[in-house]
Amino acid sequence: MIAEQLAANLLYGAILGGVYGLATMGLSLIFGVLRIVNVGHGAFIMIGAFTAYWMFILYSIAPVVSIPIALVIGLALGFVIFYSVIKRLVDAPELSTLLATFAIGLLIEEAAKVAWGSDYVGYSWDIGSLSLPFTTIPLTKILAFVSSVVIAAVVYLWFQKTKLGAAVRAVVEDRDGAMVCGINVNRIFALSFSLGIGLTVLSGVLVTLFVPVGINVYMGGEYTLKAFVIAVLGGLASPWGAFYAGFIFGLLENGSYTLLGLIPGVEPFGLTRFVSFAMLLIILLIKPSGLLGGE
Amino acid sequence: MANYKPLIPTLVIYTILIAIGALVPGMWQPVMFVLFYVAIGQALNIFLGFTGYVNFGYVALLGVGAYGMGVALKYYTYLGVGAIVLGVILAVFFALLLSLAVGGVALRLRGAYFAIATIGVNEGLKHLIEGARIWGGSHGIILSGTLRKAFGSEFANYLSTFVADVFLIAIVVISGIVTIYILNNRIGYALLALREDEDAAKVMGINVTKYKLIAFIISSVIAALIGASAWTLKMTYVFPSDVFAIGYTVEAIVIVMLGGAGTLLGPLIGGIIYGVLKYYLSVILPGLQLLILAPLLIVIVVLFPEGIIGYVKKKLRYTSVFEYVM
Repeated sequence: MIAEQLAANLLYGAILGGVYGLATMGLSLIFGVLRIVNVGHGAFIMIGAFTAYWMFILYSIAPVVSIPIALVIGLALGFVIFYSVIKRLVDAPELSTLLATFAIGLLIEEAAKVAWGSDYVGYSWDIGSLSLPFTTIPLTKILAFVSSVVIAAVVYLWFQKTKLGAAVRAVVEDRDGAMVCGINVNRIFALSFSLGIGLTVLSGVLVTLFVPVGINVYMGGEYTLKAFVIAVLGGLASPWGAFYAGFIFGLLENGSYTLLGLIPGVEPFGLTRFVSFAMLLIILLIKPSGLLGGE
Repeated sequence: MANYKPLIPTLVIYTILIAIGALVPGMWQPVMFVLFYVAIGQALNIFLGFTGYVNFGYVALLGVGAYGMGVALKYYTYLGVGAIVLGVILAVFFALLLSLAVGGVALRLRGAYFAIATIGVNEGLKHLIEGARIWGGSHGIILSGTLRKAFGSEFANYLSTFVADVFLIAIVVISGIVTIYILNNRIGYALLALREDEDAAKVMGINVTKYKLIAFIISSVIAALIGASAWTLKMTYVFPSDVFAIGYTVEAIVIVMLGGAGTLLGPLIGGIIYGVLKYYLSVILPGLQLLILAPLLIVIVVLFPEGIIGYVKKKLRYTSVFEYVM
């Protein structure tokens, strides 16, 4: 019984891990290129989740179709934020960028609260489910997983095969060297920041494909914490490390949920959040450069 | 060269504030409200201002302090007044425990990693208390009945109206003195060096981790004492959702940055401005405070990073009052 439950939970963990991985790639991309930690990360995931929700509720647009819509919204948001705030802070002390991204996240959340209220909302988009011997998985969750793997692969190919992708990699490698080679570093910053935000907003749609309820303007905080655990696990500056680390985190989180549920008198859901935080401290203690090699 | 002259304007401002509260009828509570913000600014400044590191889990330190006092008063009420002393000890102990765990791990690393480590402290602790149902879990600790039964309603009232306020005033004054002591001490010089250039400071032989940890622990202990006095003693309840509310972290950051990070007068001026504004604005704009604070913080960071006192100091250079501003 417990073994079956654990197997099912680990399978869910792996599927969710793919979504987590994609949800963290944007954070790692921005840190890798601009050396800025986007502390307001979760707010952008929330925007993506609401994009899926409103598109479905207002226009009956299937959440899968919302993926490119969310990407465009995220790219636009990223450009606006980069040119209004981040551009002025690229060479500022770390304190400034941390506070600025933190404040941007808060501003987005509070503005969303004024616009959409603070109620929990959700949608139900049923496209059938897949039966396995020990559990049944809704097809939406599988769709979320497949989408995130495909998107991550596309981003990977874009980085490896296009000239622009090579320019971004050059800036990650050596900012000054790239500038000397004639790369417009400021443009690469703008592009990477927007792409990072775009991927993050997009992943918000995938998050709702996995769990279509619990959409709330403050849902982001949880994902900020998880994304940080995953990003540190993957080496902080590497989007690919982040993607793999997402799987590990998904497995660990869902595995610990099952095990914590066995302890009488505790609420496993709340405690998994404490587990993520404890995990973060342990990784920082043992191997802050990331378990997967990283930089 | 040691310079304690800036302590004069600081103490004058404290005295004026308390005099307004004591002498003008109806002003005591507003003054205490403002002093609370001065206090959380001063405590955060000792870490954020002196190291340039951000502690996004700042409110968790006030929270554990509030819990320290709450646990002592709830479960050790039989100690009588001794329970309050135990509360102070527990608050300090919890703050030490938390700051050593987080700081000991994350302060060995660079600022970005520390910020990442602190962002989960708050939620992590809140969910630990709620999820494992520690100390009443999400129902919190409610003290008003316990205190009335143990001390009689008159003394319980005296505790929450007078003792709590005097306690907070003492914390404000002491943390001001601690701030100027650090500024004039080798700790302050080491912190200044590492804030400007951590690698250079390391090369010069400064044990940067040690000094960062010292600043973090001092800031944490003061924060915990604020939580123990201004929250638990004064409000007589502790709810996890109240004492771990991220809004206080944001307020403290805004106060420090507005007044001037790393200065003595900065958090004092920032706290007064913020406290007075909030006192009058919260009546007009309830619930919108974060919506106003967030863009304000962005504007300060982008356009005005040195804060009010940093700006004034620049203007007053080469004048005779310069050495009174720090």
